Amino acid sequence: MGSATIWGLRFEWISVEDKSCIHNFVSGSSSGRRISQFRRRNEMSTRCDASRQHLWLKPKFLEATAIYVREPREQHYYETYSWFAKIHEVVRSPLPFLTNSSPSKFGILLCVAIVVLVTAVRAFVVRKSRYKRPGSVADLVRRGQLRYDSRGISKPLKYDDPFNNPLVKVSNSKSTVEMCGKLYRLAPVTLTEEQQAIHQRRRSRAYRWKRPTMFLKEGDSLPPDVDPDSIRWIPANHPFATTAADIDENLAQTNVYQKRGVPSRIQAEHEALHRKLEALENEQTLNRLTIDPTNGQDFESPLKSHINSNAQAEKRSINNQVSDPDKVESSSASEEKPGL
Amino acid sequence: MLGLKLPTASASSPSFPRNTLNSTPAFLSNNFFSPICINVKPLKPKSKSYSTSLVKASLQWNRKPQLAGETPRVVVITSGKGGVGKTTTTANIGLSLARLDFSVVAIDADVGLRNLDLLLGLENRVNYTVIEVLNGDCRLDQALVRDKRWSNFELLCISKPRSKLPIGFGGKALVWLVDALKSRQEGSPDFILIDCPAGIDAGFITAITPANEAVLVTTPDITSLRDADRVTGLLECDGIRDIKMIVNRVRTDMIKGEDMMSVLDVQEMLGLPLLGVIPDDAEVIRSTNRGYPLVLNKPPTLAGLAFEQAAWRLVEQDSMQAVMVEEEPKRGFFSFLGWS
Ligand SMILES: Nc1ncnc2c1ncn2[C@@H]1O[C@H](COP(=O)(O)OP(=O)(O)OP(=O)(O)O)[C@@H](O)[C@H]1O
Ligand SMILES: [Mg+2]
Repeated sequence: MGSATIWGLRFEWISVEDKSCIHNFVSGSSSGRRISQFRRRNEMSTRCDASRQHLWLKPKFLEATAIYVREPREQHYYETYSWFAKIHEVVRSPLPFLTNSSPSKFGILLCVAIVVLVTAVRAFVVRKSRYKRPGSVADLVRRGQLRYDSRGISKPLKYDDPFNNPLVKVSNSKSTVEMCGKLYRLAPVTLTEEQQAIHQRRRSRAYRWKRPTMFLKEGDSLPPDVDPDSIRWIPANHPFATTAADIDENLAQTNVYQKRGVPSRIQAEHEALHRKLEALENEQTLNRLTIDPTNGQDFESPLKSHINSNAQAEKRSINNQVSDPDKVESSSASEEKPGL
Repeated sequence: MLGLKLPTASASSPSFPRNTLNSTPAFLSNNFFSPICINVKPLKPKSKSYSTSLVKASLQWNRKPQLAGETPRVVVITSGKGGVGKTTTTANIGLSLARLDFSVVAIDADVGLRNLDLLLGLENRVNYTVIEVLNGDCRLDQALVRDKRWSNFELLCISKPRSKLPIGFGGKALVWLVDALKSRQEGSPDFILIDCPAGIDAGFITAITPANEAVLVTTPDITSLRDADRVTGLLECDGIRDIKMIVNRVRTDMIKGEDMMSVLDVQEMLGLPLLGVIPDDAEVIRSTNRGYPLVLNKPPTLAGLAFEQAAWRLVEQDSMQAVMVEEEPKRGFFSFLGWS
């Protein structure tokens, strides 16, 4: 496994070199070549991650092999720029490194150990970050898309005591309390029932008030048989109140008490539409059954007038449309009918 | 399977805001298996391998507030003055209650300046409002927006920003709503919280109509206090006797420097029992921006804990017996040995 990893590393390293080879190949002049070579070296040393770095920082034998591996290749592509030759060289190059058994096995073992360590650390980090990953289920719960309790993610709060917990500690003598790490003195409340009653009496004298039951717009006239104290005068331009009760109170009350089914207004609207549709259908069948010429005319006249009014509207100015309300109405009615 | 478990942990994190530890961050990160860690945060999903019974035994997880009074408890959250934190209070107490396993319907009665949906991060899910219910465009259950974090929390908006409410029967409509919620199939909600608009005009009257108890939110400054006193007077005139106050935006450092009225001063002026004292906390604004109520924060913040305590007291119809008035001066070096 270790050797395989090393193989993998070698190939990674090779691929880095390959890219820069292409780069070299493309850049023409010798100065450009040198720059790119320099850059390539930098690139390589910075791009080496921990696992690869140790290859460079290895004991001498590794360095030696590395140099051995590199030297001929560089010469090679400086001279010929031969792509195939390079690849050939590159593929062959790891072999002497591995087969060369003369240096101690200690180095290789160290490599393997470090690679294994790095892999383990990486796996650990990846796994850890998975829990903080945005877009996880935990995130859904945090955003309120999922419920804690229905997923069994959290248990409901067990009743720990807000008066006695690690953050709130009352001293034994009940004279001090430590809250959030700060110490406070506890002063007893001295308010007695009597004092409370005295305050209540004071207030009842000071503020005599009756909850208004009637709301009138300022400027409205006073209805005859009501107690003026029970009236609340609302300014006519009150920003969010209206005194005009345009809601039927009984209906509103039944709406509030409605437990299931379609809400009343939706239901009513639906029924109205239904009735309209039925009426329309009836009308049409009647028209077909009794071929009454006047009826037929009546039925068709809106359509005609619609066409007429459209044609006329093009001719007329917008202002004049208002002067012919009947036609406009009938045209709009005929427009609605097909929709039903 | 490990791959499934970890996102689970991260997803459920917001629901365990109080289980984390405070001072030592090292605690939070790694040593899952230290016994101290298990004692302290037994419900962290990481410690799943331990049986829950063992965990329960080591801490009093089962303490739950005892629901007092008849359900549904219809609570209006009001203040008189604007911008003192009614909406913040509604959102946080509402979600705290939901987390304590009570079913909650929060009604945004702020007709003109609705923003409870924003604080809860539900703004994109409000399609229907009470106006549509009254009109019969939808049923009540369709207008209820169920929070996906805590499915026993539902939001109901009175109206869309630009629609006008016939003010004469806003109050009536709310009474019907409460009645309809009471008789619904899933059972009556335990709490109906009504976020009242600022001021004492029509919107206020609408909001308080169905309520039988009130939470008065005030800040420790005289403008807010005067309005609070007035509103308390009106509520009492209207027959709402069960009024408790939340003092919001308290800064213990300013109180200590005598730059701010203390909570006990506030109580002396209003004579109301205290439901909670909420410190001024930058986290409040941050959580508003996120559409993620403070009480769900993990780790918990000072203001979040204070809201949770207030919610607990609301359930039990309890009030504060002692307030944290000032920061204890830094004690000597040996204070940790108990020699102060
Ligand atoms: N304890 C606090 N610490 C810091 N900021 C706070 C606190 N409570 C409320 N605020 C801030 O005060 C502002 C007003 O809060 P909120 O909208 O809850 O008030 P309101 O009473 O509902 O206002 P309105 O009267 O307009 O409905 C918000 O920006 C909120 O972030
Ligand atoms: Mg508000």
